[in-house]
Amino acid sequence: MLIVDRLSKVYDADGRRVEALADISFSVAEGEFACVVGPSGCGKTTLLRCLAGLLTPTSGTATVHGKLAVVFQEYGRSLFPWLRVRDNVGLPLKGLSKRESEAKVRDALEAVGLTDAAGAYPWQLSGGMQQRVAIARAIAYGPMVLLMDEPFAAVDAQTRADLEDLIRDVWHRLGVTLLFITHDIDESVYLGQRVIVLSAAPSRVAEDIIIDLPDERDQLTTRGDARFVELRGRVYAQIQKAKRGSTP
Amino acid sequence: MMRRIVVVLGLPVALVTVWWVASAGSTDFYRPSLQRIVQAFAETWFGPRLVEEALPSLIRLGLGYAIALTVGIAVGVAIGSSTRTRAVTEPVLEFLRAIPPPILVPIIMLFAGIGDAMKVIVIVLGCVWPILLNTVEGVRAIDEVLADTCRIYRVKPLRHLVLRAASPQIMTGARQALSVGIILMVISEMVAASSGLGFTVVQFQRGFQIPEMWSGVLLLGLIGVLLAGVFHLAERRILVWHHGSRDADRR
Repeated sequence: MLIVDRLSKVYDADGRRVEALADISFSVAEGEFACVVGPSGCGKTTLLRCLAGLLTPTSGTATVHGKLAVVFQEYGRSLFPWLRVRDNVGLPLKGLSKRESEAKVRDALEAVGLTDAAGAYPWQLSGGMQQRVAIARAIAYGPMVLLMDEPFAAVDAQTRADLEDLIRDVWHRLGVTLLFITHDIDESVYLGQRVIVLSAAPSRVAEDIIIDLPDERDQLTTRGDARFVELRGRVYAQIQKAKRGSTP
Repeated sequence: MMRRIVVVLGLPVALVTVWWVASAGSTDFYRPSLQRIVQAFAETWFGPRLVEEALPSLIRLGLGYAIALTVGIAVGVAIGSSTRTRAVTEPVLEFLRAIPPPILVPIIMLFAGIGDAMKVIVIVLGCVWPILLNTVEGVRAIDEVLADTCRIYRVKPLRHLVLRAASPQIMTGARQALSVGIILMVISEMVAASSGLGFTVVQFQRGFQIPEMWSGVLLLGLIGVLLAGVFHLAERRILVWHHGSRDADRR
């Protein structure tokens, strides 16, 4: 699970003081799939970096219980260009026999549909495939908690739909706690069980919405569902309100 | 394939032919015919002399180069990893690099004598700067997302990230250092030595063995080409990924 408690972050560089996160509190239960959405520049990535331990909060805490894996937005820069796909996926595996780690890598690549690309270098693959490799690496690592920072922001629309379904599939299979950060309202409603809406910087939690759509989702029927449209409208209204709130 | 061979060998063959023809029947003492030089080459170097004179030179070069690589990469990684160290050391490094290494030969002779140690030290002091400064640049430019990835997945950064990511820059420095090393090998032997290629060429010159002297120059050229070839092969192997990803970016 994952707990954010009165988290704030102020950047202080060259005398310019930027307050990114004002006061954020929420928690994500074990095995839950939550999305964080907010207007651009609202400190979503700052929140993720605090959770991942890459950034020290100014005050408050961001705690992750259990082994953590992260999938970054910049897939092209988070894979090691000197390692082939299978070695990229296997790099974080430690304390396993060669057979065990090879089996893990194979399973992870199979889960993302990249069995054939095991011997390729990342830069030989398309953007969507590279992000699949990053997801496979996270799967093979066997995390309790998975953080994703706008992982599909830089891929084309069709690939994006495929990857969204892949992520739901992975979440079902692994039973991980998943926090998915996005700026895309549709995506946040389609993917998770819960949408946490942040206000514009300095951010607070504007609203925490339960997504009570059926667990079985698909791109066509779910997105056409009356309840989906209603929830999306609610998130959209919240974000508009959050934007206005910051510029009185 | 045939075309490639013609492109690569065309000009050298043409130049040698021109030299051969133009110098044929030369009676000039200082500019003997190429035929005479080639003859001297065979007489001088096909035998024990190659081992006696070329081997000591190459061992000094190899030793000095290896030390320079180790020290240059180690110190370069240390300096490149910290913004503050970089800021403090940069002016000093630029100054040290700007000193032409041959000027160090007489100075180092004062305390290291005229033995092998002096020559190795001179080679190290000349070779270390391009390696060190390029390593600093390579380490400085490491992608932050990759560094974050190492932290998240608890991957040891030095071996899996820093040295690999900086390897294209390190190789650039190593290539420059190799030519500097060959120059210093010869210079240090010309000034003070009892063996080595630089020493032998100077001996021939002093003894007015002009064709032999020229043959020594040819041999040095050939050794340079050979070492550059070996280096190129090593680089292709180490940087397969780099050349590939660069080509992929261009497409």
